Amino acid sequence: MLKVEKLVVRYGAVMAVRELSLEVGQGELVALLGPNGAGKSSTINALTGLVTPASGRIVLDGKDISHVRTEDRIRAGLTSTPEGRHIFSNLSVGENLRLGAAIRRDPAGVRQDIERFLSLFPVLSERYGQAAGTLSGGEQQMLAIARSLMSRPKLLLLDEPSLGLAPKIVARIFDFIGELKAQGLTLLVVEQNAKQALRFADRVYVVSSGTLRYDGPPARLADEHGLFNLYIGG
Amino acid sequence: MDYALQQLLNALAFGAEYSLVALGLAVVFSIMGLVNFAHGEIIGVSAYSVFLAAALGLTSPFVAVLLAVGMAALAAVVFERIAFRPVRYAPTTTGLLTAFGVSIVVQNLFMLLISPKPQSVSVLNGLNQMWFFGPFAVSSLQVMELIVSGLTILALVLFLSRSTLGLAIRAASRDFATVRLMGIKANRVIATAFAISGALAGIAAVFILARRGSVSPDLGFGLVLKAFVACVIGGFGSLPGAAVGGMLLGFIEVGLLVALPQEYAGFRDALTYAIIVALLVYRPEGLLGQRIELGDKEI
Amino acid sequence: MAGSELSQAVDQMAAPTGAARSNNALVRSLIGGLVTALPVLVIGLLVLNFAPTYYTFLALGAFVNLIVVVGLQVFMGNSNIANLGHSAFVGLGAYGVAILSTPLAMKKLSIPNAPFGFATLELDPVSSALIALLVVGIVALVSGKVISRLSGVAATIVSLALLIIVHSVFLNWTDLFKGNQAFFGIPKVVGLPWMLVFAVLAIVAARLFKDSRWGLQLRASAQSPQAAAALGIDAKKLRLMSWVLSALICGLAGVLYAYFAGTISPKLFYFQMIFNTLAMLILGGMATVTGAVTGVIVLSIGLEFIRSIESGVTVAGIQMPQLLGLSGVALGVVIVLCMAFRPSGISGRHELDELFSLLLRRNAK
Repeated sequence: MLKVEKLVVRYGAVMAVRELSLEVGQGELVALLGPNGAGKSSTINALTGLVTPASGRIVLDGKDISHVRTEDRIRAGLTSTPEGRHIFSNLSVGENLRLGAAIRRDPAGVRQDIERFLSLFPVLSERYGQAAGTLSGGEQQMLAIARSLMSRPKLLLLDEPSLGLAPKIVARIFDFIGELKAQGLTLLVVEQNAKQALRFADRVYVVSSGTLRYDGPPARLADEHGLFNLYIGG
Repeated sequence: MDYALQQLLNALAFGAEYSLVALGLAVVFSIMGLVNFAHGEIIGVSAYSVFLAAALGLTSPFVAVLLAVGMAALAAVVFERIAFRPVRYAPTTTGLLTAFGVSIVVQNLFMLLISPKPQSVSVLNGLNQMWFFGPFAVSSLQVMELIVSGLTILALVLFLSRSTLGLAIRAASRDFATVRLMGIKANRVIATAFAISGALAGIAAVFILARRGSVSPDLGFGLVLKAFVACVIGGFGSLPGAAVGGMLLGFIEVGLLVALPQEYAGFRDALTYAIIVALLVYRPEGLLGQRIELGDKEI
Repeated sequence: MAGSELSQAVDQMAAPTGAARSNNALVRSLIGGLVTALPVLVIGLLVLNFAPTYYTFLALGAFVNLIVVVGLQVFMGNSNIANLGHSAFVGLGAYGVAILSTPLAMKKLSIPNAPFGFATLELDPVSSALIALLVVGIVALVSGKVISRLSGVAATIVSLALLIIVHSVFLNWTDLFKGNQAFFGIPKVVGLPWMLVFAVLAIVAARLFKDSRWGLQLRASAQSPQAAAALGIDAKKLRLMSWVLSALICGLAGVLYAYFAGTISPKLFYFQMIFNTLAMLILGGMATVTGAVTGVIVLSIGLEFIRSIESGVTVAGIQMPQLLGLSGVALGVVIVLCMAFRPSGISGRHELDELFSLLLRRNAK
């Protein structure tokens, strides 16, 4: 579904991503792991088009989208839940969800989806009319993921969904990610928290300093030259 | 009592006009951080369009109003496309100076292409009459200004809270990158914001023309400076702040008009600005503004 | 760039404050200032010795602009906040000396009803200038207290408000400032030589401030407010400091203008001056004093050329019509194009002397 070839991202003289290649197949959940500053978020932002890569190709469903604008990539079925959630804090919970469906032209379907997420996350239902900035961190993360799903994407990129959240809440969020996978959604999850990310991952990539260090099934990760400990930690 | 009511209406009408212009500035600033000094020249384009149309024989006030609002919206969108898009992601100071440059260019183009002297425009004079309610005589223009501004602000609030594009504009004021992640076209959001900003300026232009009956190259410049001050006192970038700041400015001006003896009337502007600056000493972030939080991670 | 400048600032602060070391830096900055002033000096001496009177007059006007632009650079270049009110200080300086130094006979004609005994006061030009600058300094200190506390945009708007307040006082306090009419009879005591001396002094002062610990810290805090605050840099105090110095240099320009022209009026110190000097600074590049100098030289010549077209030239025997507004369009276009394509202006980030030493080093290799 998604194919990235020799992606390079630079910020001035600093090279954040060095010739990174990766693939995500239909229905897969792929985890992209690595320590802080490894170039994970730069990769995600290059995939959504918020940063322009210096070189490399990004192919979605057989179409080269390397030079397509962010807006049109979303319309093509790729979406991302950014690191730090970035919910619209001055808008209400409901308004956030409505904006998530901005590209859709089926009001009835949008209403149905909103109902579905509200019954899935009752707390969002309780706070429906309130400013989203008043939600707790975990609730904001739920809202951010729900908002991404409102566009009915084919491929969802999740950037550090566990960031700054308590372990119990992280576990719940990953339970939900597992459900999404079970429903057939294709996912690329970027994480520092390897333990949770590996629960449902079909395949794992490990990056550090912008370079790919491992590519394979999660089970093998532990054996490979202590990679697991080196880059991710126990 | 009659006098007091008259002055109250005066203050409300002035305040409404400042609010309209200040709201236009705030809509643009809130989403892209642009301090649009060329806003006054949007009012200018609008007024000169009415002048030129009248010269060509289009003298219906109804057409003039539509033309004024439409041309102002168009001018705002064109300014953005030509001058502001290249500096969209530049620091605030760069955008501010660009807008200042655009303002100088357009003002001087009016001078060069039309005339440095004021030109008479009488199409809209009919709006400015005296209405009599029993013993009270009120200016029709002031009443209309108040009603139209109120309705316009109501329409703006509805648009911003109901339509998807309106939600996107509000969201973009905090986090533009994430709005794009919703698949919403950045150019469309910005063009809409400019069109709204321009239309608000166009409505103000109609009232200015009806009151003054003439148009000159610096028509909007002074008004926009006052609207900026209204924005600052309300809290820069806050829409309610702009509306409140505009009203406050109207009341301060009319208050000084009443309080100052005739021989000091010339100092009214100076005193108005001095009072505003003094208010800023106590509230540097404005009445409804928020302290900018440093350290928010941006994409 | 933000990082390197910040680390420079840190180095500077962390460095042992040995007298030798700081003297060294001072001398380097002083020499740098003089090198920057060199083109100005050369042009000034050429005009002084060879140019006809009309051009001397033009040059004097350009030197006044030069001092204003250098003053503007001191605040804008270091704090990175747009100042759109600096001509208020030029006006205050000019009106200050006009009120204090104009001969009594002239005052009887121009401001016979001046309050506070100014109608019967006549001071020598030097004391007048010092008192005028003191007034400028006080106004700058008071306004700076407000401006230095505000965010960038609000500070810019308040600088504009200051301009309007001062202009409005000039216009309406007719007993003291003679209102809309020209204030004449100011002793014409400044010629090109004095103007040159003060222009060089202003350039050197601007350079010394920019290279000083305060200038460096201010530039660092403009680049990265959080990092600078974390280092304990008091940005408000530094902004206030540069605002006052900037105002004093602009006030000096006003004093010199009044002493060479002999006649002033409020509209000289209003938006037209803001447009002109701002475009000069932006074209030259506001990050450096060299930029201020470059912008004034290039745009003064360019504007003179445009003005000759504007007033209607005769081309091949045909009288062209007057084109009022042409110079304004040109100024605006200069600003817009610079901001879109080269926000750092002609001279970019390097001062003239730094450019020389860069070239020397490259040749040595």
